[in-house]
Order: sequence, then C-alpha cells, then structure tokens
Amino acid sequence: MTVEIPDVKKNWPHTINAVTIGATSAEGGTRTSTVTIGGETTLPFYHFEGTMPNKPVVAMEVWDIPAEDWPDTVREPFADVLADPGAWAKACVETFGAELICLRLKGCDPNGADRSPDEAAAAAKQVAEAVGVPLIVWGCGNDDKDNEVFPVVAEALSGENCLLGTITEDNYKTLTALGTAYGHKLIAESPVDINMAKQVNILALDVGFPSENIVIYPSTGALGYGLEYVYSIMERLRIAGLKGDKVVAMPMLCDIGIEVWSIKEAKAPEDEVPGWGDVKARGPMWEASTATAYLLAGADVLIMRHPEAVRITKETISRLMGGGA
Amino acid sequence: MPAVRVTFHPDGTAVDVESGSTLLDAARKAGVMIASICGGDGICGRCRVQVRSGTVDAAPTALLTRDEIQDGYVLACQTRVSEGVEVGVPAEARGDGAQILIDEDARRFRALAPALGGVQEYPYDPIVRKLYVDLPPPTLHDHLGCQERLYREIRRHVEPAAMQMGLKVLQTLPRQHRDSEWKVTATLGNRGETTEVIQVEEGDRSGACYGIVVDIGTSTVVVHLVDLTDSKTLDAEACYNSQMPYGAEVTRRIIHAERQGAEALRDAVVGDINDLVSAIVARTDVELHDIAACFASGNTTMLHFLLGLDTASIRKSPYVPTTTCPPPVRAAEVGIRINPRGLLYAMPSIGSWVGGDITAGILATGLADTDRLTMLIDVGTNGEIVLGNNDWMLSCATSAGPAFEGSGVKCGMRASSGAIERVTFDDDGIHLETIGDAKPLGICGSGLIDAIAGLFETGHIDRSGQLLPERSGRIREMDGLLEFVLVPAEEAAEEEAIVITQADIENLLRAKAAIYAGAKILLESTEHSFADIDQLLIAGGFGNYLDGRKAVLLGMIPDIPTERIHFVGNTSLNGAKMALLSRAAFERSREIARSATYYDLITYPHYYEEFMSAKFLPHTDLELFPTVGESIAASTAERSGANR
Repeated sequence: MTVEIPDVKKNWPHTINAVTIGATSAEGGTRTSTVTIGGETTLPFYHFEGTMPNKPVVAMEVWDIPAEDWPDTVREPFADVLADPGAWAKACVETFGAELICLRLKGCDPNGADRSPDEAAAAAKQVAEAVGVPLIVWGCGNDDKDNEVFPVVAEALSGENCLLGTITEDNYKTLTALGTAYGHKLIAESPVDINMAKQVNILALDVGFPSENIVIYPSTGALGYGLEYVYSIMERLRIAGLKGDKVVAMPMLCDIGIEVWSIKEAKAPEDEVPGWGDVKARGPMWEASTATAYLLAGADVLIMRHPEAVRITKETISRLMGGGA
Repeated sequence: MPAVRVTFHPDGTAVDVESGSTLLDAARKAGVMIASICGGDGICGRCRVQVRSGTVDAAPTALLTRDEIQDGYVLACQTRVSEGVEVGVPAEARGDGAQILIDEDARRFRALAPALGGVQEYPYDPIVRKLYVDLPPPTLHDHLGCQERLYREIRRHVEPAAMQMGLKVLQTLPRQHRDSEWKVTATLGNRGETTEVIQVEEGDRSGACYGIVVDIGTSTVVVHLVDLTDSKTLDAEACYNSQMPYGAEVTRRIIHAERQGAEALRDAVVGDINDLVSAIVARTDVELHDIAACFASGNTTMLHFLLGLDTASIRKSPYVPTTTCPPPVRAAEVGIRINPRGLLYAMPSIGSWVGGDITAGILATGLADTDRLTMLIDVGTNGEIVLGNNDWMLSCATSAGPAFEGSGVKCGMRASSGAIERVTFDDDGIHLETIGDAKPLGICGSGLIDAIAGLFETGHIDRSGQLLPERSGRIREMDGLLEFVLVPAEEAAEEEAIVITQADIENLLRAKAAIYAGAKILLESTEHSFADIDQLLIAGGFGNYLDGRKAVLLGMIPDIPTERIHFVGNTSLNGAKMALLSRAAFERSREIARSATYYDLITYPHYYEEFMSAKFLPHTDLELFPTVGESIAASTAERSGANR
C-alpha cells in the first residue's frame, strides 16, 4: 500500500536580506575574505521548500583586555594569547576555524578598566591586521561610553565593512551615523520582543540607515535560561520577514558564548554538582547545544567562545546544509 | 494627644489637629485641597508644601531637591506636626482656579452630545413627576379613604401601577385634602414596579418640579439642574472630586476605604454634590424643596462610594461589585440635600470596571440601537471602550493611567485656569492657548496630546517618543532626563519653565497604547478590523476639546476616515439625563447593562504584545496608519530638504 504524502511546501513571498560583512582590497578594505549571510527564501534548513544560499557562520569572541572572568575551561585554549587581541584573534582563525572575529570592547567599560577610545581603536587595528576574516565589533554596553568609543573605532576600521553593535531603541543615532559615514553594517538589539525588534529597525530606517545593512540581535538566552522565549521570537521574526514584513526581513545574530559561559551548568566543577559530569566536557557541550537550537530558530551568525563548541557547531551547520561531517 | 494648630496659606485656613498628624491629614480636615496621586504613600511627590514657621517632623525623601529642603519644602503626607505651624501650599499642589474650572466645565459640559443619526428617541416620561389632582370630596356614596381617594385619581392620569406612600405623608393627608379644598399636587416617583407618592402639596405645584443629574468622575464632579416639566437644563456646576486627596486613581481610593473606612470618601463626594447644588440654587429661583430627584452616573466604584457600599471586592479577583443595579433610595439617606423625601437613582453598571458612566454613554449615543458597528471610547483614567450595535456589545477597560487628566506629568494640571489646552507648532514657533487666557501655569491632557503630536510632527521626537536634542535648543537635560521647554520661565505664571519631560512622553505613550490595544483586541475578538467601524465615538469631558487628527497622529485612535469620528462630550451625564427624563430610557439602561459583555483584557493572550506594538508613534505597524505614514514621509522630506 502506498501512502500519499501531502505536499506541505510553502512558497514565501519575500526573501531575507543578504548581508555581506568585510571588504577585500578590491572593495576598499583589507580583508582577505568576506562573509555573506541571510538570503533565505524559506525557514532554516527547509531545503525541500526553498533556498538557503548562505550557510550560517561562527564568529569567535576576542576581548580588548585579558578575559579574566572567563571560566577556566574556556580560558585555557587561549591562555597564551589573552593579553594580545591580535594573537588571540589569529589563534581563533588559524587554529580554531573562526569565520569571523567578534572583538568585544569590554575594556572600555567605565565600571571596569575604562580604557580610552584610542586604546579601543588600537585593539581593533591590532585584530584587523592580525587576521583577514571580517570583523564584528561589539561595544562595552555603556551607552555614553560606546558613543565616545565608536566614532574613533569606526573611523579606524573605515572601509572594512564591519558589523558594529549594538543599536537599541534608546541609543541608535551615533552608530547609524557612523555606519553610514564609514561604511559599516549594524547590529540592532532588542530585549526578546518582536515589536521592539521592529521598532529599533524602524528608528534606524527613519534616520536613513538602509535596512540591507542591519542584522537583528533579538537577545540570546543560554539553554535553560529562556532559550525557548528567544527561539519563538526568532521564529516569528523570520516568518514575518518571509511573509513580506520588510522591517524584519534581516539576518539574525546570536551572542552565544557570553550567555553560556556565565551560567552554573557550564561553569560549576563536578565536585560542586555531583552527577553533572566533567565540567571540561560539559561547558563546550552546553555552548554547542545552545548554538544548535538557535541555528534551528534561524540564526545566521553565532558568536561563540570555546574551540570545541565551535568545531561541533560548524560540523552541525555543515551537516544541516547537506554536506558531510 | 495635645491639639496643635496648622494654618494653610495663601488662604489662611487654620485647623486644629492632634499632635502627630500629617500635614496631608490636616489639610483634608481643613478642607484645603492638596494634590496626592499616591494617596499618602510618599512616592508621588505631588503634595509638596512649604513650612514657613514652626518645626515639623519630615521623613526623608528623594523627591525633593536640596534647595527645596533648605527652603522648607516637605511632602505633606510624610510630615508630622507637633507644634503650631504655618504652611504655604504652592499653586501646583493646590486645586487652584476652581471657579474658572466651574465656568469652563459648565460651558463644556452643558452642551448636549451632537445628535447622531439613528439615536433612539425616548418619550418624555420623567421618573419623578408632579401631578395636580382635583379630588372629588367624599360623600356617603363615595366614602373612600384619603389615600385610596388620591390613588384612584392618580390612576386616572398615569398607567396603573402598585402604589405606596410613606407614613409621614399619610399622617398629613386628611388635613391637606381639606385645607386645599381637595386640590393637591402629588409628587410621584418610580421605585421599580411601584409608584411612590413621595409627597403631597396643597394646591397646584405641578409647575415646580426639578431634578439634578450628577456625573461623578474620578477627578471631576458635574451637576446639571433639569426642569422635569419641560426637560430643559437650567444650570450646571462642576468642581474637582474632593476624593482626590485619597488617591488620584480608583484603586488607591478603594485601598483607602479598606484601611480607613469609606465614610470619608462618601462624605467628600456628597459634600461636592451639595456644594454644587447649593451654588445652582443660589443663582436660580429654584427651591431646594422642589428638587425631587437626583440621578447619579459614574464608574462602578464612584457609585459605590456615593451609596456607601463596600468596594473591596471590586479590586480583587474575581472583581465582584456589591451591585450593578442599585435600587432607588431616599437621597437624604446618603446625605444629599434636596427635598428630604427626594429619590436618588443610579445608572446601572455593566461590571466592576465598566460602570454606569459607560451604560449612560451607550444610552446617550444610541450605540445599542443602531445596526451600524460603533465603537465608543471614554477617554479617562480607565479608558473604557465599547464595541457593538443593536445586536451585541462588548466592553473593556484599559488602564490608561492619569496622563490624559494631566496627572503623573511633571508640569501637568487639571483643566483649570492657566492650563495649556491647545498647542500649535508652525513656522513662527509654538502657539499656546490657556484656559481663561491666563498666564500658563501647567499643561492639561488635551494640551499634552497637542504638544506631543506637534513634537512628533516637527521631528523633535522620534517614533519611539525619544526627544532629539540636536533638533532644537528648547530640548535640554535636567537631572539626567531630557525635557522640552514649552514655556520659558520668564513667560510662565510661576516663573518656572513649563516642560514636557521624556518621562511625560513615555506616560502618554503608555496611555495611548493601552487604549489603542484595547480597541484593537475588542475588534479582533469579534473578527473585525478598524475599517469595519462605521462610527467611532470619543467621549469624556476631555473629548470636547480633543483634536482628532492629533489623536490619530499619536496612534491613540485608529486612522479611519475623519467623517466617521465623532466627539460626543460627556455622555455619562447625558445618558443619566435621558434616564431621568424618560422611564423608558431608564429601563433601556438596565437592559443595556445586562446585555453588554465585559471582556477582561488581561485574559487576552497577546494583550502585552498589542500594547507594545502600539507603544510607538503612531504604531509599530505603520500600515495601520496610512495617512500618518504619508505625513511622516512628507515632513521628513521637507526637513531633509531644509537641512541641505
């Protein structure tokens, strides 16, 4: 007996924007390669239904100051290079296969090292010179300080077509102006809320920043810490985009490492939590599992930390894209 | 406890209170109006007063600046007295300009709602009336008793009904019949199925029969005097609701009643009604004695307070009122001073959070009688919305907050003398209109809507409501918060700039988002869209001077053709007046209250999401506001052209 399998294929009316990060010398930058994300005509990995012309990519996280508060498990692989952002970035790319580098300007935090805009720009230059992959530069999270730092950093990386972040509903004017002036793309951040994701994009569009240059960051929660909320928001954003809501038809980014490596499940040694298994295996697994879930939700860029998690995730992407292990 | 004397300036009102009382208590006792939004919890900072002499015990607060503290400013609710003190009440804390408010409100509220097509007409048949009868004197063949004789004659004139009479009326009846040579005037009042002979007067007094209609709003009490013989409104008065010191919002007042009893709240509103009636009576040649009926409308809680009913369960799930349909009672029983035997009627409520004011609104606008899909929005603290037609009605209450009434706004004030009520931006700058053409003292709800719509239209704020300092020198930063200077200090009445702060804008955005989300959910729950609305009615004292285009620009009301939008004024009052003048209308109001369904928005799964998407100018989804979209595009193009 044959069973008729119903044809469930959908034809979505709209395509997610494709966003290219990085510029080669031919394009006015110094990158040796660029990365294009987005461009989907269907839901994640629904190859039977539409196309996913660009595979999701993994960016590895580098700080402008030594990452003292990273748990041992995730610091160890970088122990020799933590003091040097350039060397750190180089290790990520050459040893661990990072497709982009995300430089987080943690050192600029006024409640921490409070480094100057020039120091931040120097770190950015160091990373840019050390590696040829495209760059993401993420502020320290203090709006006022970021608005001082980014003008210098964006200029220092002028023409490199970086992805800078983040703009929020309360703080978008400086970065949108810089993105336009120096040719960078932007990350638009919102707190796990589909309306606020739209709103921040609208604010950027209203000041003339093109929607094709925006990547959505809908916030990220580690597995066990609200992942399902973010998941459904991402799913809805993607469906809205495919249905034709141009304001959200953008690639999405997930900031995985920073979330995972701050939770007990990834950090607590086994003697504190008997039965949870070796923390050295558990932490990377947790990061990889979190990343996998977000891939299925529609993430186009994952920012990660642990080399083993990166390896697993890249392999997962490859398999999901129809390639072999 | 020893008594100490507290004197309030500028009026010089003095009151003796127990040592240890707060200044707010003293003010209440003295009848001095001091604003208090939080009801005495020390968190709103509105009850700022200045201690001019004497020592007080003031609890520390972050709501006063160092300079203010040095100048003797304290929060009245957080300050206890133990010796005689002199206290200055600043204008912004005072219910100032009351006379002007009365005049203005009387003018505004006097006008009846513009007649809408299809409004049901009810026959003139007041619920209280006077009937002059010429009784046949008793004979050996016609030996009915005085009461039966009167009833028999009354039944010849009015449709037969069960009749009743109080003992006091009965006791004087024989003498009255004989003294008047059997010509008497009976005042008849409806009490459900029964007609009561409220009083009997000698001779023909049928031409002197009056009633009052009262709208008890959370912030304003309005009284109209109606001639029941010809349905004419003779006069009107309005004042602030004196319950204000017990909290600006309904819930605060319920909490006060729970903790300290509801008597003070009843006394406050009854006192207001009596004062207003006295003022009207003093101006007209109407005798208090000839006012035989009082018809009250208001939200469920206000009507409960008036009747001295328990309000505690209104506030708590499952939100049950004591009654939605209070019976007629003697007005004197609650302390209202009209004819001592006069009756007090109350508009039936739909539920705990959709009250008699909305039933009255439905009645007055004919919403329940038209086959056209109609939405009625009563703009106020609770922002009630009704959607429906002659087939069905669904209602909800949105917690819009007090921003529309000028509360919770830094320079906000109620619509009284000196309040900025209109703001226009044009090439020459900003034009203001104040109530009473006075020097600007603050900004009321309509002015706030105008101003924020203007700021949006001229690009001073972005679509999230954020002030854009680069747009204008009028935007400045104070204590870490951006604000727009609407009136510079030198032009303001208090010589302090009148500003709109970033927080004020947020408050208004929340208020308008709550109303819009409520409206959208009512529509979606009944599988309609805004385009299906045949008529959108905006009610409230506030609605009389609301600029509809600006309300659309802000996304407070949907972007539908303006010819479908109607401002219908104080429908709470108008509906109550109809019920007073027509038994059929009163009966209809009971049917309306029974048939309207209450929808608790909190149970709607996507309420918060609808709210968040509406908390943007005009809305996150610009496609819902096509005309605003066009005007944004036009003004953006104009500005970028000008910048070039």
